[in-house]
Amino acid sequence: MAGLAAAFGSGAMTNAVSELELSDTIFIIGSNTATSHPLVATRIFRAIENGGKVIVADPRKNQIADFAELYIQHNLGTDVALLNGMMRVILDKNLQDDTFIAENTEAFQAFKDALDDFSVEEASQITGVSVADIETLATLYAEAGSASIVYCMGITQHTTGVDNVKSLANLAMLTGNIGKLGSGVNPLRGQNNVQGACDMGALPNVYTGYQPVTLGPANKKFAQAWGVDELPSNIGLTLPEMLSGIEKDEVKALWIMGENPVVSDPDANHVVKALEKVELLIVQDIFLTPTAKLADVVLPGTSFAEKDGTFANTERRVTRVRKAVDPVGDSKPDWEIIQDISNRFGFEMTYTSPQEIFDEIASLTPSYAGISYDRLEGPGLQWPCPTKEHPGTPFLHKDGKFTRGKGLFHAIGHKPPNEVVDDEYPFWMTTGRVYAHYHTGTMTRNSESLDFEVREGFLEMNPADAKTLDVCDGSQVKMASRRGEILTKIMITERVSPGLVFMPFHFEEANVNKLTNPAFDPIAKIPEFKVCAVKLEKA
Amino acid sequence: MIDRVKEKINELLSEGSVKGVVALVTANGHVAPCLFQKGDDLDTLCLGDTEKSGDARYPLNRVLCTIARQYPDDVFGVLVRGCDERGLYGLYRLNQLEPDKVVPIGIPCPESLAQACECKKPYPDDIVAGEKFEGISQQGVEDMDNKDLSTRFSFWMDQFSKCVKCYGCRNICPMCFCRECSLECEDLVSKGDLPVDIPVFHLTRAMHMADRCIDCGLCEEACPSDIPLRLLYKKTAEIMNTEFGFTSGINKNEKSPLSLMGPAPEK
Amino acid sequence: MDYRNTLTTCTYCGCGCNFFLESLDGKLTGTIPCKTSPVNEGKLCIKGWNVHQFVQSERRLKQPLLRKNGELTEVSWEEALAFTASKLKEIKEANGSDAIGFFASAKVTNEENYLMQKFARAAIGTNNVDHCARL
Repeated sequence: MAGLAAAFGSGAMTNAVSELELSDTIFIIGSNTATSHPLVATRIFRAIENGGKVIVADPRKNQIADFAELYIQHNLGTDVALLNGMMRVILDKNLQDDTFIAENTEAFQAFKDALDDFSVEEASQITGVSVADIETLATLYAEAGSASIVYCMGITQHTTGVDNVKSLANLAMLTGNIGKLGSGVNPLRGQNNVQGACDMGALPNVYTGYQPVTLGPANKKFAQAWGVDELPSNIGLTLPEMLSGIEKDEVKALWIMGENPVVSDPDANHVVKALEKVELLIVQDIFLTPTAKLADVVLPGTSFAEKDGTFANTERRVTRVRKAVDPVGDSKPDWEIIQDISNRFGFEMTYTSPQEIFDEIASLTPSYAGISYDRLEGPGLQWPCPTKEHPGTPFLHKDGKFTRGKGLFHAIGHKPPNEVVDDEYPFWMTTGRVYAHYHTGTMTRNSESLDFEVREGFLEMNPADAKTLDVCDGSQVKMASRRGEILTKIMITERVSPGLVFMPFHFEEANVNKLTNPAFDPIAKIPEFKVCAVKLEKA
Repeated sequence: MIDRVKEKINELLSEGSVKGVVALVTANGHVAPCLFQKGDDLDTLCLGDTEKSGDARYPLNRVLCTIARQYPDDVFGVLVRGCDERGLYGLYRLNQLEPDKVVPIGIPCPESLAQACECKKPYPDDIVAGEKFEGISQQGVEDMDNKDLSTRFSFWMDQFSKCVKCYGCRNICPMCFCRECSLECEDLVSKGDLPVDIPVFHLTRAMHMADRCIDCGLCEEACPSDIPLRLLYKKTAEIMNTEFGFTSGINKNEKSPLSLMGPAPEK
Repeated sequence: MDYRNTLTTCTYCGCGCNFFLESLDGKLTGTIPCKTSPVNEGKLCIKGWNVHQFVQSERRLKQPLLRKNGELTEVSWEEALAFTASKLKEIKEANGSDAIGFFASAKVTNEENYLMQKFARAAIGTNNVDHCARL
């Protein structure tokens, strides 16, 4: 999200999901939409029915690729090269939107100069995609009346994640495909309330609504509202930094609420070591996850079905969560647990309901100021919603008026992934989801219907590689990276090209994150889940 | 019409002839299935029309089955349109509900909804209130039949390829209640991957629904990929009608030809 | 007899689909997609359709656990909360505010995320708050 924030001033999806139906061209890159966001795929299928075109770029073929006007399978970790190649074509063919660029953007010249040294042939060589296909891709996108970009973790989970996103922003600005109905740049949020957690300031550098923690009016405002003399103004540690802080003896206590880093984080063996070392590990969860098993104290929270509250979805829409049944056993809503601990710690909290907490949020957060529980009866509200009368905002940056003023071009060159294949680790490996499971499987693997669909992990492998390794569908293989090794069943499929393997990350007993690379993007601190080098042998 | 429906429900509840009535309610700015019991406020009761008529219909018979399974000795009222009444007849026939434990509260569909559904019988036998419109011919099926085989084949294969295997068509269906589902039988349909096995997944369901489908259209409305399932099941129903003279739920006491042993009945 | 449909928002992906959790006498019996939701228009994916199944699973955590002699042992809320608060105090006093870190969550509500970062910043005095946005 850091990439979009730098380019446009706001790190969120620019359009409403339903607007995709109206797009003439949808460019999907690094998103397995039908599997991971099926209800976004609905809109994409409708766009196709409406005569729209879909173009897909992904190293692993996905379901929507079958419906694409053009599907290209570029090499893993070469997104910037592909996008720069497309932009080279657009400039060469004079397909850019000069008026939009002149009126609504800045730093275009520097961006253009940087592209001068880059040819489509070079892009083709790096990405493994033919010059002709890059040209078609660029033309289909640039010549559309309204074009939308849809991307997901296939773009962001790289050491070049921010560069990838900035390049997509460049592409949209270059062709004026932003700030219009059915035209924009749309990151699909992987988890139901990632948007909300960010909005709420569950980040080391900002309070709610992305107000900076550094010394300034926001810091003062929050200190006053929360009744403390001062608030820390140094930027805090990110999640991977907290884990390495434990190793360096700088972090002594960790409170984990509703996350399962032992399965979800890269280089899992390393994570386990850190969590075993930390002096106090508090885990608040609804199941005894592999992370909770390492805790000093486990606090049973409740699921979404047993409490009130709100979530914010991928299109910034805030909707209600309502209590359907009583909490199981002695479990308690998470807000009550935090309040109980806070009171015992000596910082008084006296909320009687989530609604009361929400009203405090609205009073401190300009983009949520107009939202209240009574206004959330019905379809919900998309922020920014600054006043009680404001109808909410379906799409951002209307008419080229970017949140940051002008849209900012960034000059970006291709950088290879942090880890590349070599003689010892000759296979590229990437990770993702399957349709029946979600994240670390804590919830979905405890649902009998979903467990029935997919009971165990598997590794996708091209038939040519299977032949070389002398394995068949369902065989066991040993897969190792520089960080660990696992045993897994294989599935033979042409979805992955020779030399590339894919594995879903939901399964703790075949935890692919023991292998993934914790190297992260220098700005967004996103680990490179999507690329690492592995070796394979028949087990 | 709605006032008459409320009156009827009020009557049933206050005289105690039913334990509750399954109908629709407006709550939280949305339409939801609901069980009204004695003393409940009927002001929020609605018929499932928001922007278009019948655009917020829910499988009320399915709700009724859920409740009746837990409370088998009680009598319940249920709001029914023509399709729902066909559903009740089917559920009686398949021993999922007992006719003397159900009091249908029938409403006819307006012409616009009957047209949109291409419904053969857009009204129940017993109507509490409202004016009924006659059935509509199955133009959609005819149009598809007029296309050549290869066009039809590629149309359906393209449509099926969009399936994201949510099982929504089955889950929303008021006529689906099997404990063991043929869609989950691995000898028929493989599991664990997208896209699903086509056309096996969809045709297996179409066959299974041949003598059950009541043409309510909820499956198609629930499909995230907008697969025209209703058209597929209408065609299956048409074959049942041509071959066996049977239409699911049209006659209250008619047995399905698929559950009879012996030679096919005379047409 | 208590039959209810409670309108809520899905806990899985970022689509944010709306559905009714159907319950009878306090037991969840099903999930029904909300037709009037502008997000999902009465449709759901396989995860959404089955979301009620894990909620009342036998494997849910029902009691606080505290590590005693190396084993996680069931304890009362009072004991778990008192231990947690006093231990946090002790570590803050010994090692400073920035020795404590918080993983908030994309799985809990806005209100709960807000409260956790408020506790971290106002009570503990650290900005070490993050969640799995990056994962």
